[in-house]
Amino acid sequence: MINELLIIIFAPLIAGVIAWALDIKGVREALGVIGAAIPLAYLIKLYPTVMGGETIQYDITFGGFTFNFVLAPMGLVFAMIAGVVGLAAVLGMASTARSSYEWLFALMSLTGVFGIFLSYDLLAFFIFWEVMTFGSFMMVLKYNKSASLKYFILSVIGAYAMLIAIGIIYARVGSFSFIKVYNAFAQDAALGMVGGETLFSRGDMAAIFGLFLVAFGVKAGTFPLHVWAPDAYSETNQSYTAMFSGVLSKTGVYGFILLYMLMGYRLMAEFGTFRSVPSFGYIIAFLGGLTIIVGGLLAALQEDIRKLFAYSSISQIGYILVAIGVGSALSIEAGIYHAISHALFKGLFFLIVATIIYRTGKTEFKDMGGLAEKMPFTFAMAFVAILSLAGIPPLVGFASKWLIFESVISQNMPILGGMVFFGSAIGFVYLIRFTYAVWFGQRPTDLDDVKDAPLPLAIGMGILALLNVVFGIAPGLVAGELNKIIGKDVIGGTIWELDIGVGKYNGLLITIWLVIGLLVAAIIYFLGARVRRVPVTDTYQSGNPVTMDYNLTIRRNFFLPLKEALSFWLRISFDKLYKDIGKTAEDFAETMKNYVYNGNVQSYAWYLAIILLILAMWGV
Amino acid sequence: MFEVALKALFLLLYATFVGFIFMGIIRKVSARIHRRVGPPLYQPILDTIKLLSKKSNITHGLIYDFGIIYALGATILALFFIPIGSVSILRAYGDLILITFLLEIPMLGIMFAAMSSGNPWAGLGAQRALLTLLAIQVPLGFAIVALAEFYGTFSTYQIVMAQQVSGWSITHVSLLLAAIAYDIVLQAMFGKEPFDIMIAPGEISLGPMVEFGGKHMGILQIQHAIALFAETLFFSNIFLGGAVVTIFASPVLNTIASLGILLIKQIAVLMVAIFIGNIFPRFTIDQAAKFYWKWPTIIAALGAVLASL
Repeated sequence: MINELLIIIFAPLIAGVIAWALDIKGVREALGVIGAAIPLAYLIKLYPTVMGGETIQYDITFGGFTFNFVLAPMGLVFAMIAGVVGLAAVLGMASTARSSYEWLFALMSLTGVFGIFLSYDLLAFFIFWEVMTFGSFMMVLKYNKSASLKYFILSVIGAYAMLIAIGIIYARVGSFSFIKVYNAFAQDAALGMVGGETLFSRGDMAAIFGLFLVAFGVKAGTFPLHVWAPDAYSETNQSYTAMFSGVLSKTGVYGFILLYMLMGYRLMAEFGTFRSVPSFGYIIAFLGGLTIIVGGLLAALQEDIRKLFAYSSISQIGYILVAIGVGSALSIEAGIYHAISHALFKGLFFLIVATIIYRTGKTEFKDMGGLAEKMPFTFAMAFVAILSLAGIPPLVGFASKWLIFESVISQNMPILGGMVFFGSAIGFVYLIRFTYAVWFGQRPTDLDDVKDAPLPLAIGMGILALLNVVFGIAPGLVAGELNKIIGKDVIGGTIWELDIGVGKYNGLLITIWLVIGLLVAAIIYFLGARVRRVPVTDTYQSGNPVTMDYNLTIRRNFFLPLKEALSFWLRISFDKLYKDIGKTAEDFAETMKNYVYNGNVQSYAWYLAIILLILAMWGV
Repeated sequence: MFEVALKALFLLLYATFVGFIFMGIIRKVSARIHRRVGPPLYQPILDTIKLLSKKSNITHGLIYDFGIIYALGATILALFFIPIGSVSILRAYGDLILITFLLEIPMLGIMFAAMSSGNPWAGLGAQRALLTLLAIQVPLGFAIVALAEFYGTFSTYQIVMAQQVSGWSITHVSLLLAAIAYDIVLQAMFGKEPFDIMIAPGEISLGPMVEFGGKHMGILQIQHAIALFAETLFFSNIFLGGAVVTIFASPVLNTIASLGILLIKQIAVLMVAIFIGNIFPRFTIDQAAKFYWKWPTIIAALGAVLASL
């Protein structure tokens, strides 16, 4: 019998290859959905076993290496995110994908993601990391070459940084297996405490940490390595971006958690703590804080719906990094919780964006407006997503943000706390801009015959929206499972309630009292006289009559004052810096080409002479 | 169950009434500052009754109506989580972060409604409101962080109880700094000059409110009254010691006494806002952002760092 783990990992890829090979419209969509549904079904089937404390493992020897796969609680939770959001995204793709090419590579990257979450040795981790990167790169390449190259180059830098780090570890430990690596680091930490001879020197540890920081930072979109994300997230199939942003970015997050699990003690023993937080964690957290601010502010200034959500995605990842960086059991749980809720609401957002682009064919705010009446279902979904991302109780986005706030602040981290607070306001700000420009106000006349979401997209959105609401009202459902990862009750309370000692949050009570509040308000509203519906042009314009020829909605540069207030900071751009570095490297290569390959036969003879001279001096 | 419902009803009526009187006080005191007589204290109640009884109301669609209802509903929700002496219903869940968020979300409803009208002034007002929200969030965040770090808890009720023992928050240097920053933030939360940029009467025709009339405006008046009550109450609770009176034998007397003490503190908070509001002209929005990101942020961040040491 083939092992379940292999089925989970390879089902999407096989389905993708078949869909690509057959390339029959209707069949490839069905195959894609099946390919994404099988892993989810298996994960759900194995869920009680694994959460009950049993681990499922599978080893395979291939090409001289032994690859270990283990389904452990941590990996399972992340794989569940991938399964749910992946299924929703694939349902969306059934409407928006244009060719079998997209099915192949979208499902290939899903295989990569499952492989990352299930692999239990560094080599398998790296290989699936590359599979995932390649799949997503090909998805972007189809739409925009320069965006895909930017993504590819940064990903390659990240991947090779990881490869070097893995190489250093392998050179010292002699194994790729997580268990052996963990034991080696733990032993080293203990030895280091008593002042014994350690396997890894201080320099080794700094190098490994720095390299992994780059590797995972690129994938997570950490400031200042975030520049690929706005282009790559926007220049591809938006249904796929639901997975790209919702799941693929989580692999970076998972990487950081892995860093904690494998070598946290050793790094802490080597570099000490900053106040109550490990120093290395504080670096991650501080970068996360900057990521929140930079991503959020840039999101507010975008004029393109896809770019806005790309930056928003970066900003939200910042929260997770802050929580993980702080590194207490509570804050890591909070970080994973936010990873779940981010996947749920950001997956939903990108499906909404996919619907809007699929139905209207437009991506910029200046071309849209007043769509709420034409697409009521999509608007309702957007409403849930907006409330969730902005952190409005009782949705899941609030529960997870609340946990992050409290876990960070209760660790005595005032500056990080301030950064997180700013992030929640900026989230509010860019979402309202999206709401205003897309859904409300005057509708351009060319959007008058727009239809609502197609059925597969609607199902995908429905799944995610439902989970947003359910997990929001019953936040304990997720918290209880997260407690099982850590192995003790870090977050107390019932399924309705989160209790972390310094504070309590009850999703159900908030829902009930919100309903009561709304009822009171509704009673006052309905006691008043009846309302008369007026058209959008029947409005106050300084007492002047208006017609549809006037543009009543502010669609461009909505946050101009913000841009002006930040003009100094906006001049500093990492995008430009990288472009300059790239340009310099190109020029250097050009110069080298001109000087070395100069076409002069005599100079080639001279090279030979020089080499011979070197060999002679070496004593050959 | 019945008792809770009764308490909730009492709280709602009390908050609405006091909130309206606060609105009256604002108008009366402002008038006296200008050497006018001013309207009677109950004038806002009359205004609201008039607005609610308009025979003709307009709507721009479902969201236009729902946004208003949501704004009031969310304000009522926020009110129930703030401890009011010993009356409060959900004070066990009165978490600092939760209340801070809950006091902001009514804005979402108002803006949804305003923007769905499609009026350009409303769009402009929403933009200004959002930027104000963004600007105040930095000092506000640091002030909240300072409180949580100082008391080691997020429960507002426990913070009130701690102040009963160790004196008001503002008697500690770090929290005094936080309170100053929060008070500057309150000016914008109340929508008073110099930070009434969101409404900006005379400049952008009331911004988000421009298109509301009749019962929509009436509901917003009620929302404003409750929000005014809730915001002053929250400030009094976290910085001015709140009030939990236990000296009388009868619980009714105790409750009345706590409400009375809280009322005095709330009016004190309100007075500061009125005085400042009446002598400063309005900032432009980019000035406001730069201002809030400079002095109040520095003061509050200093408080937060001091509190965490």
